[in-house]
Amino acid sequence: MTGLRARLRPSVTVAAAGLLLLLAPRVFGRGILNDIWSVAFAVVLASSWNLLGGLAGQVSIGYSAFLGIGAYTTALLALRGMQPYATLPLAALLGAAFSFVVGLPTFRLRGPYFTIATIGVGEAVRVFAGGVAFTGGSSGIRMPPGSFDFGLNYASMVVLAVAVVTLAAWLRGSAFGAALAAIRQDIDAAEALGINATRYKVAVHALSAGLVAAAGSLFAINFQYISPGSVFDFRLSLSIVLMPILGGVGTVAGPVWGAIFFSYLQIKMLSVPALRDSYLFLYGTLLILIMLFEPKGLLGLWERLPRALRRPPKEASAA
Amino acid sequence: MHDLVAVVVNALLAAGLYATMSYGLAVIYGVMRIINLAHAGILMLGAYVTLTLYDRFGLDPFLSLVIVAPLFFLLGVVLQRLLVRRLPSGGGTPSMESLLLLFGLWLVLQNLAYAVWGGDTQSILTNYTMRAVDLAGVRVGVPNLLVFAAGAVCLLWLQLVVKRTDLGRAMRAVTQNRDAAMLCGVDADRISAQAFGMGTALAGVAGGLLSTLYAFTPDFGRSFLLKAFCIIVLAGMESVVGVAAGAFILAILENALGAFTRIPTSFQDAVSFTLLVVALVAFPQGLPHAFLRMTRRRAALR
Repeated sequence: MTGLRARLRPSVTVAAAGLLLLLAPRVFGRGILNDIWSVAFAVVLASSWNLLGGLAGQVSIGYSAFLGIGAYTTALLALRGMQPYATLPLAALLGAAFSFVVGLPTFRLRGPYFTIATIGVGEAVRVFAGGVAFTGGSSGIRMPPGSFDFGLNYASMVVLAVAVVTLAAWLRGSAFGAALAAIRQDIDAAEALGINATRYKVAVHALSAGLVAAAGSLFAINFQYISPGSVFDFRLSLSIVLMPILGGVGTVAGPVWGAIFFSYLQIKMLSVPALRDSYLFLYGTLLILIMLFEPKGLLGLWERLPRALRRPPKEASAA
Repeated sequence: MHDLVAVVVNALLAAGLYATMSYGLAVIYGVMRIINLAHAGILMLGAYVTLTLYDRFGLDPFLSLVIVAPLFFLLGVVLQRLLVRRLPSGGGTPSMESLLLLFGLWLVLQNLAYAVWGGDTQSILTNYTMRAVDLAGVRVGVPNLLVFAAGAVCLLWLQLVVKRTDLGRAMRAVTQNRDAAMLCGVDADRISAQAFGMGTALAGVAGGLLSTLYAFTPDFGRSFLLKAFCIIVLAGMESVVGVAAGAFILAILENALGAFTRIPTSFQDAVSFTLLVVALVAFPQGLPHAFLRMTRRRAALR
């Protein structure tokens, strides 16, 4: 009974938070809602990435490819007369399909080799999107007029965020999640136990890529203009990796906290002109500090806090 | 026919540069089992330091390599002592922590360059930048020739260090078996610092060489990092000769695709990234290993 309650609790918390956020447009103005949209967007990206990067331990630095595919699918189909929101499932499907193209060869690689290959894939996709004609080249494309509806976009993004986090919580407790954890901890042992590691990795990759592509689709609708520089940007891939690592990789709450903290920082920094140019410094320093001192991220710090408080400082006891 | 000669000559010249920028990555990987993502940042920094030396003191970019190399060696040693050494060791395989730490370092370097030199595109124009000479009937830029010569000198010197000196012997020992080397009294930690310094120095030199051929911004280096990685994967991450061969393979593919197919040059980078993925998947242990396995299999069949 308590086990079931413990498993349900995160879903209830997330659903309640989602409900509150859906009611937010009745209370807050557009500025705050825009910020909430950005945070929800970040939560979707971070939590989706965490399915592969955290649960299965396969760190990919090429996720902007999926975001871009989602965004371009929606923009190109909307320009041909499709209702923008109706393109969402198609965008997700295409993102998932592309994840097979990426994953089937690269999942034969392990650990850092996989990571490097994903940088290559992300770059190749960006170069390609900027060079061919049907994407509008490097100057990008604009959504058709009349496709913008902030209220609907806001609600969709919040629902998507809630769905992704709930899915992550559920996956983590499932047999599928246990298999992914086994792959993360020791892939040889996992395969010896009869887990088809490649199949599991490809499956979870497709799932997370599809979710990121759906977020990309909503991104295109919200910003109305996309270009290889905006959706296939390496910095985007970078922040998608950084958020879950910052919060606590492999957990359910970690990517959410990471996304909230990160987007808050970014919103604050963008409003200060002097800091606008130092976000790379911030990303880099955060990565270095986390890797050196607390690889478990914010959640690791949080767990450490009570222990640090309980233990009286050595200097005090000596005095 | 002439096209073919041109492709080979150009590929050979490019390979000298590619080998220089890749070997630093290979040295660090060999000794420390770390994939140095900050390599791209060091390449970029090398280009900017060369630019500053040229602008401020009028120092020829090729002469300034004499300053850049020791400077970046020191930088590498300091970085290893300050950051890399504090990580838990991956035990034989490169750890995710080291990859991400060096990734963070790369970003910091990039931001540093934005702060110091601004985001504008920079280039170094000397009085011989635009000059060209005839080589086997092919017009070749003078800077390209000089870059090749400088790269070749660096690699030969390194080959001597690795093969003939105690430091080189110690480095090879640590590369082959870290524990056994330590049992024999090799100070693996000190060797690691020196290897990281050497790798960084090579990257700095390669960056200086790149600055004479290409325009650069603080984002410069990422595509070269991927190329370098592609090369050391092809080469199996061990010998200077292997790295040179890998560099030549990549260079000739790039040049041939540019000369004989209709693939636009803007896609050239995409070609090497695709090749990287193919190489990683098809030859996870490098071409030499694949070649060895093939000859062994053939011998077994006989």
